[in-house]
Order: sequence, then C-alpha cells, then structure tokens
Amino acid sequence: MSSVFFERFERHAHGEGLKGHSTHYCPGCGHGLIHKYLAEAIAELGVQDRTVAISPVGCSVFLYYYLDVGNTQAAHGRAPAVAIGHKVANPNAIVVAYQGDGDLASIGLAEIMQACQIGLPMTFIFINNAVYGMTGGQMAPTTLAGMKTTTTPTGRTRLTGEPLKMAEIIGAMDGPVYVERCALFDNKQRVRAQKAIKKALRLQVEDKGLSFVEILSECPTHWKLTPAEAEKWVKEKMVPIFPLGVKKDLEAETERWFNLDPPQFDSARVLDVIGAVSRAPARFGEAFPSHIDAKDVAIKFAGAGGDGAQTIAMLTTRTAINEGFDSTHIPSYGPESRGGTSYADVHIATGEVLSPASPQPHILVAFNPPSLEKFGPHVQPGGIIIYDSSVVPTPPELDPNVQMVGVPCAQIAKQLGKVMVKNVVALGAMQAATNLFPRESFLATIRDALQKQSALLALNEEAFACGGTAYEEATNGTGA
Amino acid sequence: MASTKTKERPKPFLFPQFCKACGRCISACPKDCIEMGTEIHPATGFTPVVLDLEVCNGCGLCLSACPEPYGLMPAPADVDLELLEPETLLGERGSTAPTPEPIPDVRVPLPELETMILKGTHASAVGAILAGCRHFFGYPITPSTEGAELLAKLLPQLDGVFVQAVSEVATVNMIYGCGGAGLRCMTFTSSPGFSLMLEGISYMIGSEVPGVFFDVMRGGPGLGNIGPEQGDIKLACRGLGHGNTHAVVLAPSTPQEMLDLTMNAFDLAFKYRNPVILVSDGYLGQMTGRVQLPSYMIKPGLPEWAVHGDEAHRGNLICSIFLSEADLEQHNIHLLEKYDQIIHDEQRADLFHCEDAEWVIVASNTPARMAKGAVQQLRDRGVKVGLFRPITLWPFPIDALTRPLQRASGLIVVEAGAGQLEDELRLAASHAGIQDIPPIHRVSHYGGVLPQQQEIVDTVTALAGGIV
Ligand SMILES: Cc1ncc(C[n+]2csc(CCOP(=O)(O)OP(=O)(O)O)c2C)c(N)n1
Ligand code: SF4
Ligand code: SF4
Ligand code: SF4
Ligand SMILES: [Mg+2]
Repeated sequence: MSSVFFERFERHAHGEGLKGHSTHYCPGCGHGLIHKYLAEAIAELGVQDRTVAISPVGCSVFLYYYLDVGNTQAAHGRAPAVAIGHKVANPNAIVVAYQGDGDLASIGLAEIMQACQIGLPMTFIFINNAVYGMTGGQMAPTTLAGMKTTTTPTGRTRLTGEPLKMAEIIGAMDGPVYVERCALFDNKQRVRAQKAIKKALRLQVEDKGLSFVEILSECPTHWKLTPAEAEKWVKEKMVPIFPLGVKKDLEAETERWFNLDPPQFDSARVLDVIGAVSRAPARFGEAFPSHIDAKDVAIKFAGAGGDGAQTIAMLTTRTAINEGFDSTHIPSYGPESRGGTSYADVHIATGEVLSPASPQPHILVAFNPPSLEKFGPHVQPGGIIIYDSSVVPTPPELDPNVQMVGVPCAQIAKQLGKVMVKNVVALGAMQAATNLFPRESFLATIRDALQKQSALLALNEEAFACGGTAYEEATNGTGA
Repeated sequence: MASTKTKERPKPFLFPQFCKACGRCISACPKDCIEMGTEIHPATGFTPVVLDLEVCNGCGLCLSACPEPYGLMPAPADVDLELLEPETLLGERGSTAPTPEPIPDVRVPLPELETMILKGTHASAVGAILAGCRHFFGYPITPSTEGAELLAKLLPQLDGVFVQAVSEVATVNMIYGCGGAGLRCMTFTSSPGFSLMLEGISYMIGSEVPGVFFDVMRGGPGLGNIGPEQGDIKLACRGLGHGNTHAVVLAPSTPQEMLDLTMNAFDLAFKYRNPVILVSDGYLGQMTGRVQLPSYMIKPGLPEWAVHGDEAHRGNLICSIFLSEADLEQHNIHLLEKYDQIIHDEQRADLFHCEDAEWVIVASNTPARMAKGAVQQLRDRGVKVGLFRPITLWPFPIDALTRPLQRASGLIVVEAGAGQLEDELRLAASHAGIQDIPPIHRVSHYGGVLPQQQEIVDTVTALAGGIV
C-alpha cells in the first residue's frame, strides 16, 4: 500500500461509505492496477510533493480522487497541452499525463504529437483498452480489426481503419527518450509494467526527457468477458497486434534536457527589454502645423507594396509624437497589402486623434498611377498632392484647388544609388511642400530609426535633402 | 496476537468490503492461497475472495495483481486482524497536504519614462510584460500575430517562455495548465482561432482558472477576411463555450488602452479567478500611436489555490467536474454570484459630451474613434450629440448610460458588426429594468469595412432634423 493514495477518497462521492476506500472502476479493470503502480513509483522516487497528475476524460477521469498529489483535470484529449502548461510554469514539477486511447490517439492526436515532438521531460501513461470505456464501449482508434463495439456492431471494417499503434509511432519520433509497451495479464507483465512506469517517472525526475508507456489494459465490461477471460484476450488477441517491449530507449546517451532559469522581474531589466527610455527626444518645432488644419491633419501615403509608404508614414507619426502631438498611423489592410496597393493613413492632432482614418486627407503622397487615381479625387480643397513623376508621367485632371506637385522620386533615388530610398525623397519633398514640421525634426527621427544601420544614414539624409530640393525645382522656388 | 515467528515478508490481508471479486489475485498466487469466496458481501453485492495463507511465502505477487488501492494489502504486524476495522488502519484524513498561503503580487514602481510609439498589438504585449506575464502560448493568425511575434522576441530575454502551440485548441489548454499552476499567461488570437478556444475557456471558467485572451477580431463568418470587424462580441459576451459562462470583456480603442487594459486584464483575471477577454478590431491591432508607460509594473506572487507542483500546493485540484447535480448547482450559484459581483463592480465606460446630449452614439474599439470624430464635428455645428463608449462590453456599463438615456431622443449604435453591440446594450437595459429606451438607430458595416466619421455625421444630421 502506497502513501501516495489518499487515506480516504474524499473526492469520491464525498468519501462516504465504502467509496472512501474503493475506486469507481469495474472489477478487473486495468486502470486500478496502473494507478497503483504510478502511486508506488511516485512514492519510491520521493516526488509526491512535486507531482502534478493530469486526469483525462475517459474512465480514468477521476484519477484525482485517488492520488494525493497536485491534480488537474483536462478536457478530452488535451492532457498533453495542459501538461506543457504545467511544466513550463514550473520546470521543477513532475508532470504525469494519464490518458486513454480515445483521449490520446483520437481526439487528442495533435496534442500528444506536439508534446512528443518537443520532448520536454514529462511522463505519459497511455491506457490502451481498445474501446471507449467511459461512453459505453464504442470503437477506439486501437480497436482490433473485426472487433465488435457499439459503433462497429458487425466488427471493425476497413472503412473504419486499422488499429493505431501509438508506441511505435511515438517511438519513431525524435523527442522522447524512452518508449515502451507493457501489459497486465500475468505476474511477469505486471512486474514489467511497474518497472516501466517507474523508469518513465525517474527519467523525468532526472531531467532526461519525455517518456511514453503504453499499457494494454483490460476492460472486461465492454469486452463482455470475465476478468480472467479479459487477461487471456489481451495476451492472445491484443499482443500480436500491439507487440510488447521497449520501442526506444536513449537513456544512456541523453544528457539533462533543460534548465530553465526563473523568469526575471527586475524593473531596470524589464524596461531595457521593452525598449523604454527616460530621455526626452529633442523638439524642433514650436507649434502645431495649423497652417494645414487647426486641430487635425490627415495624410495618406499610397503606393505599391515595397514602395516604402508605410516606412515614411511611420517616420511622420514618430516625428509628430516627438514634437509633442498625438499621432496615429494605420497601414492598409486586406488583400491589397499583398503585392497590390499599400497605403497608410496618418493623423496628427493638437489634442487627441479622433478618427484615425484618412478618407479625405489634407496631404496625399502617391507613388504610382493607381494610388493617385484612387485617392487623388478625395484630397481636401486647399490640400496638396506629391506624386512620383518618374512613375506617373501624365497625372489625371483633379480639383484645381488641390496643389499637384510631381517629384521624380524614383529617378532621384536611382541616381543616389538605391531606388529603395525613393520614399525618403518623397518625405523630403512633402516636408518642403507642407512644412508640416521642421526639416531637422524629420532628420532626427530618421537618425533615430537608423541607429543600428548607421551605414545607411548618409544616403537617407541625402535622399531627404534631394526631395526638398526637387520640390523647390518642380515649383521653381515659388512654392506653388 | 503478536507473532513469534521471525517475519521476512508480510502476508496479504483483505478487508472483504473492498474486494471487487475480480479474481486477478487468484491466478497471480503461485501457491494457490486464494480462491473465490462463496458468500455475497452484504455491503457490496460482490463475493470477495478468501485467503488461506498456510503455505503463503509472502511473495507479494497477489498484492501487485489487485487493482484496488485498499484491496489486498500487506498485513500489518502486531494487530489482531480479526478485530481490525478500516478506520483504525486506513486513517480518516483526506490528505496530509499543508494549507497553502497566498503569496501576494508586488507593485514595483517605475521611473518616469518617455512616451513610447507602439503598434496596438505591441502595446498590448508590452502591457502583458509589465503585468508580470512571462508565459505566452499561441497559434499564428492575422491580424493578431505581431503581438505574439514581439513576445517571442522579448520573453526569452526575461527568461520567460513562448510556446507556439499546435493549434488554438492546444493553446487554450496550455493556458489552462499554466494558469492553473498560478501563473500569469496569455494568448493573442483572431476570430477563427477564438472560436476554437471556446471549449477550453468554458473549462477554465468551470475550474476557476485565470488567463488573458486577446481576440483581434476579423471579418467573418468562416475564413472571412483579415479586415477589421466586431463580429465576436456575442461570443465574448454570451458564448464562452458551454454552460453558464461569463468573463469580463474589455474593448480598448487606442494603443494606450491596448496597454492599460491588458494590464488590467491580468489583475481582473486573478481577482476573480476567471479568464478575461480583450477584444479589438484588426485596425486597432495595426494602429501605431503614442503610449505612456504606467508608473508601476507587477511582480506576480502565487495564489494559494494553484496546482504548482510543490509541497505547499499539493492538496489543490483544478477541475470542473461536479458529479452530483446538487454540487454542480451549488458551483453554478457560486459562479453566478461572482458574475453579479463583476456586474456590480467592474462596469467601465468613457463618456464624451453625454451630459446634455440629445443624441447618444454608442460605439467601442475603432468605430468609437470614428464616432468621437463625428461628435466633435457635430458639436462644432451645435448638434447636441455625445459618445457613450463601453470599455467593458461585459458587463455592459449600463449604470453610466442610465442618465444619458433619460435625456436622449435617440441612440445611434455604430459598430463593425450586425447588432452584436446593440444586443448587449438592449440586454443590459432590460436586465437593469429600464423600460423605455429611446429608438435605436444604426450605422453598421460588416466584412472588414469600418463605419466612417462622415456617415455617422450624416446619420445624426438627418436624425437631428437636418441642421447642417
Ligand atoms: C469534446 C468531447 N467529446 C466527446 C466526449 C465524450 N467522451 C468522454 S470519454 C470518451 C472516450 C474515452 O475513451 P478512452 O480515452 O479510450 O478512455 P477509457 O474510458 O477507455 O479509459 C468520449 C468520447 C467528451 N467528454 N468531450
Ligand atoms: S468500462 Fe472498462 S475501462 Fe471503464 S472502468 Fe469499466 S472496465 Fe475499466
Ligand atoms: S503473497 Fe504470494 S504466496 Fe502469499 S498469497 Fe500472495 S501471491 Fe500467494
Ligand atoms: S484482486 Fe483484489 S479485488 Fe480482485 S479479487 Fe483479489 S482481492 Fe478482490
Ligand atoms: Mg479506451
């Protein structure tokens, strides 16, 4: 008798009457034996306090009635995911997931595969009784060919598939260190099963890795056999399909699996990691660009994917926030962002940006004909459009109250040696055209953004300057 | 009856009432010491085996063959087995586990920091870190993934853990395990993924496991598209899996709130031992804006109820099963009381020009920003319009709406969805016993299209009698 069993099963019908000391299992059921071996192994390894047992959904759903360890009851099939949650929460915990064949090999296949793929040191006990016990004897993934169950009334046919051999499947994976299939039908098998369970647990205690023990287990009730006949049936019918033995054992060549340090909560470290700074950025402007709008300036940057519209939109938002105003940037959304047009809405407000979309912008920066055609007509009267004249040779006729300026952004960028910077050329032109914020203010943001790529800084600064000059040239220095 | 023989190995002993008569011990005994009995036990209806231990050598094989924990057991020494009662031998204590004490969270003060410029999902991820979350589980889905990607980068730098689960189903169950272990953990997902998590969320509510779920809602139904929608409000407020479930549902509308409300979400989740759902639309997830960091961060403690895998918490159980109907009804009543307390204590709303409003717009998330712009535009023209923005969608902040409702000639619900926010308003008003709500008008879009400021302005203008 192992001390890991509760002295009284208070969770079993409040421990009243005989239920305080007997299981809910049918006579001769293999589950009870496996519970016993698990309890013994936990006791012998001295890990009762650290153990977290995950109960499945199936006849063994009430594992937590019996084992005096930390217990979590998982949804049908999800014990491996729950186990991962427990193990990463506390790597010192000894996590044991206990699952039936419906639970592990049908509804929860994806979860067990992932757990075994990762191979975190955990212990999986898999009870193969070839049926769904709890729900009344339906077909399980492990049901034998020809075997009658309530959902294969004439016997399992080809249409319902061949029995799934989990120990072999798991044994073929790289994650686990130890995989064995055992049975319970005679003294010899029981001793092996006891040893296998203990080893599977020990390998976790030693941080070696994941172990998986499949146990062929009697379900006399749904097999409609006596317990003695059920033992014989495992031996004669199941073992030929599910061969017993070790499927994988890398104990000898395996080092400690992992050693997770406890999470850090040092505030200086946290602020460093999230990139928070206590320095205030330099400001260059004095006032809100109220020459464009009294309270809220709306801008749209539009082009094809790769034109860099998002980058300069972001630079604009950063500049505005550094200058002490509220600003938002929203990238274009939806299928357009794949290869088609890519556009960005930016708002800059004195107080708070209210509506962050820019359906009627004050400023439009357009990199190609479709964007100019799509958004040009919506620019507010008195607004301004900067378009890349090296890509748009003949701009459409638009509202005469909207200023249209063509700047050969791509061409300038090419001359500078990198077409990529055509967006920064456009940004320079926009700055010159609108005086949204001082030139220095944008340059400070650009420098900040290129902190880690200082090699590109000179090129970008030049592109920005050329954009400004090009705008002056395009308007003959009149600004109109 | 002290034995005088030198005892090597104990012989088996059986309380017949704990024998299920399976007979496994009979074939296990090499000495044929055990045979099936003949008398039915009156308490069990089984016919227990009988032992005749004259030739027994104490090999113990029968003990390892008995499936019952308190079936065959080694005979205790120095007692009169004839007179032995289970109570004296087995004890009455359920468990010897200690009673754990809660370890409280610590608020760590932060220095004054410069405004950060963050994308919505990133702001939420930063909020999670400041709230003490060091464990993230998730499955990639646009438009929520960038939050996860940032945590994949940052958490390992803080010795936290990022796990890309095999699915959203696995995700929620990892959160169930990690949250059940007492830790602050979260996920980012989007509508189809959120649907997949609902069974697990129901388990979490039933087992009282905290956890934070951020659903960046996208266009549906089905695979829909990745445009912004608010089509999961009904799931978050009314449809958290099976059973009588509820969770606080928070709806940020700025990058700042993405951070602040994510931090609040962890506090609420642990305060109530319940999941908390954050919902935003994809637009907000992508929106970059200024974010002021809070004046503190959290170093989490460990709650007393956790199944943590250590000595102090050994006696704990995370479980949603209550086999007896009476017990489960009692548990439901406990949950309902918790929901009532949440309804009482956690309603939050933001009111903008509602004091004298004849027209009250109700909107949340990004549509609330469009609506705020519209209110400003209309106020500039002298239209008495206000914005009521629920920050908690559940509980719907009906208390704060009661007064505006008395004055308003009409409500305009602005949402990127088909009346899901409106239904929350109507239900909350009905539960609050508010009989006559003014007529409700709508500005709605679906499928990834957001209501725009101008159409809100136009709708209110038309209602208000065409004052332009
Ligand atoms: C999501 C879900 N689907 C179905 C069920 C019903 N159900 C409960 S147990 C079970 C099968 C259990 O069979 P198995 O895992 O083989 O365990 P056994 O009872 O045989 O030990 C099923 C289908 C459930 N509880 N949850
Ligand atoms: S139904 Fe089968 S598996 Fe379930 S308790 Fe009974 S014998 Fe065991
Ligand atoms: S201890 Fe060995 S010999 Fe004695 S009854 Fe049990 S199995 Fe038989
Ligand atoms: S193995 Fe245990 S339950 Fe089964 S007959 Fe023997 S004593 Fe009884
Ligand atoms: Mg089964």
